[in-house]
Order: sequence, then structure tokens, then C-alpha cells
Amino acid sequence: MNESLLFLIPLLPLFCAVINMLFGMRLPRLFTEVLAVIGVAGAFGLTLLFWDYAEGNGSRAVLFTWLNSGTLNVSFALNFDRLAAPMTLMVTGVATLIHLYAIGYMREEADYARFFSLLNLFVFAMLAIVLADNLLVLFLGWEGVGFCSYGLIGFWYRKLENAKAGTKAFLVTRVGDVFLGVAMLWLFALTGTLSISAINAQAASISPGVVIVLSLLLLLGACGKSAQLPLMTWLADAMAGPTPVSALIHAATMVTAGVYLLCRFFPLVSLSAVAMTAITAIGALTAIYAASCAMAQRDIKRVLAYSTMSQVGYMFMAVGAGTVAGAMFHLLTHAFFKAVLFMAAGCIIHQAGGENDLFKMGGLFRRGPTELFWVFLAGAACLAGLPLSGGFFSKDGILLALYTHADPVFRVFWLIGIVTALLTAFYTFRLVYLVFAGEWRGSGSPHDLPWLMRWPLWPLALLSLAGGLFNLPALVGGGEALHHWYGTMAGRTLTVSPDVEWMLAGLAAVVAAMGWLAAHWRYRNYHAPLENPLSRFLLSGWQADALLDRLFVRPFNAMALFSWIGCDRTLFDGSLEGLARTSTRCGALLLRITTGRLTTYLSAFAWGFLILLGWFLLKLVEGGGQ
Amino acid sequence: MIPFGHALAFAGALFVLGLTCVLLHRQILMILIGVEIMLNGASLVFVAASAYWRQVDGQVFAILLMAVTAAEVAVALAMVVYLWRRKRTLVADEFNGMHG
Amino acid sequence: MSAASALPQFPWLTLLVLLPLGGALLCLLHFRRVEECRWLALATTVATLGITIYLFVGYGQGDSGWLLYEDAAWIPRYGIRFTLGLDGISLLLVLLTAFLQMIAVLMSWPVKQHVPLFFCLLLVLEATLMGIFLALDLMLFFLFWEVMLLPMFFLISIWGHERRHYAAMKFFLYTLAGSLVMLVALIALYLIHGEQSGTYTFALAELMQTDLSSQQEMLLFLGFLLAFAIKIPLVPFHTWLPDAHTEAPIAGTIDLTGLLLKTGIYGLIRFAFPLFPEATRSFLPVLGVVAMAGIFHAAWAAYRQDDIKRLFAYSSISHVGLVVLGLAAWQLTAWEGSILLMLAHGISTGALFVLIALIRQRTETRNLAELGGLWGQAPQMAFLFLFFSLASLGLPGLANFAGEILVLLGTFQTHPVWAAIALVGIVLTAAYMLRLVQGVVWGPVKGRPTLPDLTPREWLILLPMAVLVLWLGLYPEPFLRPLHGAVANIMAGGLP
Repeated sequence: MNESLLFLIPLLPLFCAVINMLFGMRLPRLFTEVLAVIGVAGAFGLTLLFWDYAEGNGSRAVLFTWLNSGTLNVSFALNFDRLAAPMTLMVTGVATLIHLYAIGYMREEADYARFFSLLNLFVFAMLAIVLADNLLVLFLGWEGVGFCSYGLIGFWYRKLENAKAGTKAFLVTRVGDVFLGVAMLWLFALTGTLSISAINAQAASISPGVVIVLSLLLLLGACGKSAQLPLMTWLADAMAGPTPVSALIHAATMVTAGVYLLCRFFPLVSLSAVAMTAITAIGALTAIYAASCAMAQRDIKRVLAYSTMSQVGYMFMAVGAGTVAGAMFHLLTHAFFKAVLFMAAGCIIHQAGGENDLFKMGGLFRRGPTELFWVFLAGAACLAGLPLSGGFFSKDGILLALYTHADPVFRVFWLIGIVTALLTAFYTFRLVYLVFAGEWRGSGSPHDLPWLMRWPLWPLALLSLAGGLFNLPALVGGGEALHHWYGTMAGRTLTVSPDVEWMLAGLAAVVAAMGWLAAHWRYRNYHAPLENPLSRFLLSGWQADALLDRLFVRPFNAMALFSWIGCDRTLFDGSLEGLARTSTRCGALLLRITTGRLTTYLSAFAWGFLILLGWFLLKLVEGGGQ
Repeated sequence: MIPFGHALAFAGALFVLGLTCVLLHRQILMILIGVEIMLNGASLVFVAASAYWRQVDGQVFAILLMAVTAAEVAVALAMVVYLWRRKRTLVADEFNGMHG
Repeated sequence: MSAASALPQFPWLTLLVLLPLGGALLCLLHFRRVEECRWLALATTVATLGITIYLFVGYGQGDSGWLLYEDAAWIPRYGIRFTLGLDGISLLLVLLTAFLQMIAVLMSWPVKQHVPLFFCLLLVLEATLMGIFLALDLMLFFLFWEVMLLPMFFLISIWGHERRHYAAMKFFLYTLAGSLVMLVALIALYLIHGEQSGTYTFALAELMQTDLSSQQEMLLFLGFLLAFAIKIPLVPFHTWLPDAHTEAPIAGTIDLTGLLLKTGIYGLIRFAFPLFPEATRSFLPVLGVVAMAGIFHAAWAAYRQDDIKRLFAYSSISHVGLVVLGLAAWQLTAWEGSILLMLAHGISTGALFVLIALIRQRTETRNLAELGGLWGQAPQMAFLFLFFSLASLGLPGLANFAGEILVLLGTFQTHPVWAAIALVGIVLTAAYMLRLVQGVVWGPVKGRPTLPDLTPREWLILLPMAVLVLWLGLYPEPFLRPLHGAVANIMAGGLP
């Protein structure tokens, strides 16, 4: 086998996407659906098949030259290394299950070809990010996922709000892309290459001040895709898309692209303590911000969207605290449990007859299939960080890294992390109670739940519960497999005494339990939603949209109006028309002389003749005088 | 023999009379007559000068002028007829089509 | 000059100019047989395209020097020669001209009024464009440059839309004003050179040797620049474009965006920069700032347009701003990116104009407020509209991105701040493009529930464009290779 076969991993979904895009509507429905699944499942299988290539320093594969000009030479090249391999496996694996789920979910959708080709295209773009060997290929994937998410959020395009939500997502993430773009240009100018590994190798030779700026640029780029402060507003609106899309894009994969980017550039980013602190700060602030918003949301999918933001915030904190392995660990467990939560939420919405509002649900434990409850509970346990679930271990690892960081500021972040964990446990169980406990409060009648929407939940639920095994801390007898797998890429190794570790683990468990108890106390019996300024403030995501509107959208519109009416219409065209009018007026003035009357012309002729004559006579007299 | 100065004075008077006629009259026909008189004045100068310097060129030119005058009258009168047909008047100021 | 000129060879370049002219003449002679005129025009453009493709394949991979060079005496008394030369830059533009002109002819099939005259003018336009991209004698260039105005003027004022007379007049006066200033500068240069060397000539290579005081140089440069800036168009000389664009018939619009704008940039590259190197050096920062102002101003203005044709006019101004920014950065990669971007922009925007014309034919409106839900009405058309819009907003893997990223990477090397600001401009591009797509493709279906989708003739037009957009985006190497030598030569201040 040779290394360029690695290209099959991303190209297989691309190929299926293209086939579906071009011929999807002409082919039988089953064929389209099967092709879509094959594209992703095939990529999953290939990843397993090629797993050995990731060992050691990984493998590079070059397809052909993309751009070649001057000192620039960029190829379509892949780098399948130890950071990329688990991520590839996760993306393709989770995506396969979500594709299967989507077949059930979109059973009645007429425009299925567009849906599945976009979904496959998304997987391709995501794989391009994960496997990219150079920044340009990464950027290709980066923009590609942006576009696919745009197309999928606005999938039900006939409602203009959906299309608008898609546009918003694309634009806000593109703002982040500007920063990534500048970082890319700058890195090329500094190092003369766009290859990620070469850049990382040269990172030490870049002056520290520039490293700070570059890291911050990368951070802002990551913030756009990962919906971190201040570029977070698009994620909640992105829930307008079909639920499988939310599960795939806005929970499991795309939002973690930012984390992955920072991990990729960890050798560069970790050189600057300032940047690392900034990453942690952004993560911490987003985590607590999103958790507070999630407490007041009424739409089940929006709760999950805010919880995603919050969990990605934890991953940022992990990167900032220097543990790539911790970040990737949480990324993986989060992908599993968030996917299961979203997919279960899709089932719940189906059961509730298309109702999204939590306060119009309730009693689904008795009403719906009980398995739904157990699956959802598995995901919720992980999200809340109940002991021994996958989420517990990964979150605990991050808190440990924050706690043991040498810089005292990180204690503050650790504290924020703990408080966020409390809030997380609270809103998670609020969700569980509002959906499953009590009496049915809605009005819709349940849609039936196809088989394909139910069974993909089980493997994911099991994976999320057992996710801790991937990187079980030594404390409880685990082998820290993930940490060892990453080897030199894993970042800081944590050396702490078992006492501290036990103390932290205990604290995390207590916090999770407290959150549960609070939710139990508040929501065991149904309460109507609170109507006070605070809940309204939280419901609207701290008025972030209004703020952005005032800060950016309105000035933008004003500038647009100014450019169009102020400059072009008034200034440029106005002055031109002024010129034209002046010319016309001068012409009119001259026109008055040309009366068109023969007699006028004749007398003018005569006068002219006389003047000429007089002038000649004068000359003659002067000449005679000499 | 008539002195050259007298001939010139007479030609000048003729020219000025023609010019006056052209400037003062409103009728196209009268204007044309004025133009004719001016042309005659000019050709008289040619003839007189030719006699004075004993050169034949002036007389040649006078004959050429006659031919030109004839052609001019032919065209002009045709146009006068045309103008009369259009507006039933020959007052020059009525025809101001050249006004922009 | 290179050795190519010494060998007797088939006069391909002259043929490129004369073939469309001959076609135009035949069109006029056959004015009674309308159907034949259409096919004749198509045959001419296809033959021209064939020749350019042959040249591209056969000569295009040479690295430096004139790929082809033809020279003949024309008006010896004033030192005017018929000199045509082809290097990598002109090769790409000639290729683009031939390609887009064929598309324009195909798109003009439904024209009903004065058909022979229409195709005659289109072909004359093609001939003059070829001449502009090939001429190496300044007077010859100027001749083509001026003659180009006439067919465009008539195309707009006879076959245009509602406000066609206003738009045609504005276009004509604007560009004429610019070229008159250029003519003065041209003659001044001719006289100065003649006095210095004793030989009066308009040959570019000779005129480049002229010794000019820095003040003279700057004045003459500004004279040339004004003409080119109006044609490019750079802010604030751009207001003719939206009007001309909006009112022109579809073929005219394709030619305007795809080709006429490029003549201005080509003029900068081929004439203004090499003739006045010192003035260029000192003026580049101003050019860069003007280009950036154009990117932003036009993107903002585009955001407020409801007429989609006018929106694209502004989008063109914005894109062209990026092209000029790349030139102003004076860096090899940026220059190659600029030229590639010209090509990409010509194709992607050309395709969008084709689609807009098709949409207009079906819905009878170009107003964004009256459009919507195209995906529900005609999915194939909507798909292509989305595809070319994405190319236009610079999605990686499609044509414009390849050019844009080269421009940005190159510009950052010499002017990091410019590149960073231009990147922000690309977000603005996304803003108006998405607004457009949202208005046309998505949203509730307005008007009739279904529209006739693309016919085979329309697929024939759009498919090659889609393939080219992908090709330029994924593997621009064949188009970049002819550029390497040519761009390096011009930047070194010389001719190939």
C-alpha cells in the first residue's frame, strides 16, 4: 500500500457528495441514502485500515501541486498523524451514525439529495481540516465546513428565518476567518512556508512579541468556528437547521474545529504565556456565559446549543492550561454525548409532535419509548459530569490541569470551571425533568419514530458512558491511553499528588450532585417559566444580538447607505451631473447669439468687416508714421 | 482716360451702396440685389486695376466673377422660390431655422 | 526582441485581429439572412477560440520572451508600425476574450432587433479587444482603444434597457475624456522621444528608452493612469460602470465586466508601468490606497443594491480593486494572483451575468425584492447560481480564491497592513453575496411556483464555465506557468 491512498479517506465522502449533488434527484431514493452512508462509513473503515500510518511521526501524502508562484508552492497534501487519527475516526464514526439517523429523520423530505450531498460534503471539508498538511488545505476545509453549515442551517429555505440564520452563521464565522487568514499570511511571510509542521518546527525562531499576536489571531479564528466569545451568537440561531445537522455540525464536529486548530498549532501557541492565558480566559468566560444562558432557554435545542458552547469553552481552557490530550479527550467524549443528546432531542421533538418548547413537553417518560429516556439520561449524565461517566473524567482532567497550573490566575479559571460545572449539572437535569417528568403539557400528537432514528443512539450512548476508558486517569487504575498515544504532542504532563486528585474528583462529584439536587428541587414538579428581567436577559443570551446589532450591523448598514447614496449618488454622480448642467448652461448662453436670423448674421458680418478694415487702416497709418 | 482714383472711388461707392442695401432691407430679394451690387463693385476694381497696370489678369477675373455671379443668382433665386413656397413670405427674419 | 521574430511564421496574431473583423464584414454583407448571421458569428468566435487554444497549448508553455511577435511597417512617415506581440499575460487575456466572446454570441441568440448589426458590432468589439491585448505600438494600441468604444456604445444605446441612452452617453463621455488625456500624454512622449533620439516612433520598446525628468514622467504617467483608471474603474471614476452594466444587453454586460475592465488593468501592466518606472514607484502607495478604498466602497454600495445587475457591477468594482491592490504591492506572487484573479473574475462573474439574464428572461425582473425561492422553481439554475456566487465570494477550491489568496499572500510580503485590510474586505464580499443568494435562491417562492429550468443550449454555455471555475480553483498551474516569466520581466522594468 502506498501513502497516497490516504487521500481516499476525504475523497470518498466528496465523491459521494458530488454524485448525489449531480444525479441525486434522478436516482432512486434508497441509492442516494445508501451512497451517502457508504461515503462516510467507507471513510471510517479506511481510517481503521490505515491506522498504522499514524504511528510514529505520521505519514504525509501529496496529491498534486495546487498553487505555485514565486516562493510559494502549495500542494494538496495530507498529514495523517497521531493528532489527526483519533479525530478522523471520531468524525467519520459519529458522522456514520448521524447519517443513518438522518435517513430516518428526513424520511418525508422531498429534497433529500441536497441534504445528503451537503452532509457528505461537510464530512469531506471536516476531514480536510483534520488531515490538512498545510494551512491552505486547512483553510479549504475551514471555509468548506462554513459553507456546508450555511447550506444545512438554511436547509428549509422557504422560511426566511432559516436562511437568515444560515447567513448569520456564515458571516460571523467568516469574521473569525479573517483573523485566521491574517495569521496564515503572516506565518507565510515569516517562515516562507504554509506547511503546518514546518511552521511549528520554526516557531521557536519567531520573535516572542509576534508569537503573541499570531497566537491571538489563531485564537480569534478558532473562536469564530467554535462559537466562543465574542463570535458566539451564531450557534444558538443555527438550531434552525434539521436536528441531524445540529448533531453533526454544531455539536460533534465543526464547533470543535477551533480546538483542533489550536491543538495543531500548540507548539507555536504554547510559546506565549500571554496567549495561553488568553485562550483559557476566553474558554472560561464562554463556558460560564453559555451555561448561564442555557439555564433560561426554553427551546430544547437551544439549551443544547448553549451547552455546546460551554463545553467547547472547557476544551479551550484545556488547551490554555497546556494539555492537548485533555482537550482532545473532552472533545471526543463531548462528541459522543452531545451527538446522542441532539439525536435524542430530535426523537423527543418527534414524540412531542414537532414541539421545541420545553415547557410544552413533560411526561415523556410515560408517553414515549422508555429507551429514549435511558439514552437521553446517559448523555445528560455525561454532560452534567456525574461520576464515572465519560464526561466526568474528561472534565475532571481539565479542572485538574487548571488547578495545577503554575500561574495563580489559573486558579480563578479553575473556580469558574467549577461554578460552570455546577450550572451545567443544574440545566442538564432541568432539561431532563422538564422533558420526562410530570404530565404531558403539549398539544401535538406524536409522530412515529422510525427504527433508524432509534438504534444509532445506543452505540453513541454506550460510547459516551464508557468514554472515560479512553484516557482513564492512573488514579483509578487507568492507563491514560490517549495521553500516551499523543506522546510528544500531548502537552503538559500533570504531576500531582493523589490527595489533590482525589480531592478534585470528589469536589467535581459533589458539584454535579448539587446541580442535580437543585434541579430536582426546582423542577421535580412543574413550574411555569419565570418571567423576570434576569431570565429574559439570560434567554436572549445576555442581549448579545442586540449589542452586535448596535456595534456592527447598524454601522455597517449606515456605511453601505453612505457609500451608495452619499458617495455614489450624491458626491460622484452629483458632481458629474453638475458638470453636465454647467456645460448645458454655457451652451444655452452661446445659443442666444445664434438667433437664426439672416439679418443679424449679415450685420454681424458687416461689423466684423468694418472692424477688420479699421484695423488694417490703423496698421497702415502706423506704418506710414515710421 | 478715367483716372484710377475715380474708378476706385466709384467702385467703393457702389460697394457701400450694395452693403447698405444688404443691411437695411428685410426682403430676401433686396438683399440678393445688394449682394449683386457689391459684387459689381468688386469686379469694377478688377477691371480698373487691369487697365491701370495693363495686365490681363484682372479682366479674366472679372469675367470669372460674372460666371460666379450668374451661378449664384441661379441657385439663390431657386432657393427664393422654394422659400416663398414654404412660408408665402420673403422677409428674411421669418426664416430662423438655424436657431438652435 | 527574441529570435521568434526572425523566423518566418504564420501570422497568428494578425489573424486573431482580422478574423473577427472579417466575420463582422460578412455579417454586414449578409444582412438579409438573419439566421446565417448568427451562425456566422458563432463560427467566427469558435474559430478564434480555437486559434487561441492552439496558441495556448502550442506556445503557452514557453517561459519567457515573446511567445509570438509580428511586426510590419504601417505609416512610416510618423513612425507608426503594426506591431503585435504575445506574452504570457496577453495570452491569458486573449484566451479569456475568445472564450467570453463565444459565450456572448451564444447568449445573444434571442436578440430580435437588427440582428446582423448586433453580431457585427460584437465581432468588431472582439477584434479591438484582441488588438488591445496584442498591440505593442502605442498608436496602434490607442487606435484599438478608441475604436473599442464605438461598438460598446451602440450595443448599449440600441439594444439596452430602459435608461440606455443615459448610460451609453455616460460611458462614452467618461471613457473618451480619459483617453483624450492619454492621447495628449502619448503625443508628448512621442515628441520628447523624437527630439532626444531623432527618430520619431510609437514603438513601446523604443519609447521606454526615453529620458524624462521626474516631473515630466509623473505628468505623463498620470495622463495614462487617468485613462486606465476610468476603464478599470478605480474609485472615484467608477460611476459609469453601474449604469452601463445595468442598461447593457447581456452580451454587452459580459464584455464589459469580463473584458473591458481588464483592458484598463492590462494597460497599466503593459504600458503605464514599464514606460514610467520612476513615477510608478512613487505612485504605487496611492494606487494601493485607492484600490482598497474601491474594495470597501464598492462592497458597501453593493450591499444596498436591489437591482442584481447593478449589484454585480459594484461587486466587479470591488474585485477589480483587489486586482489593482495586488499590482500595487509590486510582488511577484501578488502580480500572478492579480492576473489569475482577472481570469477567474471574468469567468465567474460572466457566468453569473448569464444566469441573471436567464432569470430575467423567465421572471421578467431583476429586482431582488421580487425574486426568491429559485431553488423551488428551478433547482438546476439555482444550483449553478449558488455555485458561481460561492466562486465569486472566494470559497477555496473555486476560481476566485486561487487568485485572491495569491494576491493576499504576495501583498502581505510587502505591505502587511494592506493585505490585512483587504481580508476584511473579503468579509464584506461575503455579506453582499449572501444577501444576494438569500434573496434569489432561498426564501419563499415568489412569482410562479415553477420556472422552466435550463435548456441544453444554456447548459452548453454554463457547463464549460463551471468546469473552468473548478479548474482554475483546483489546478491553476497551466494558467500560472505562462505568467512566471512574463510577470518577472515586466516587474524588472522591461519587456519579455
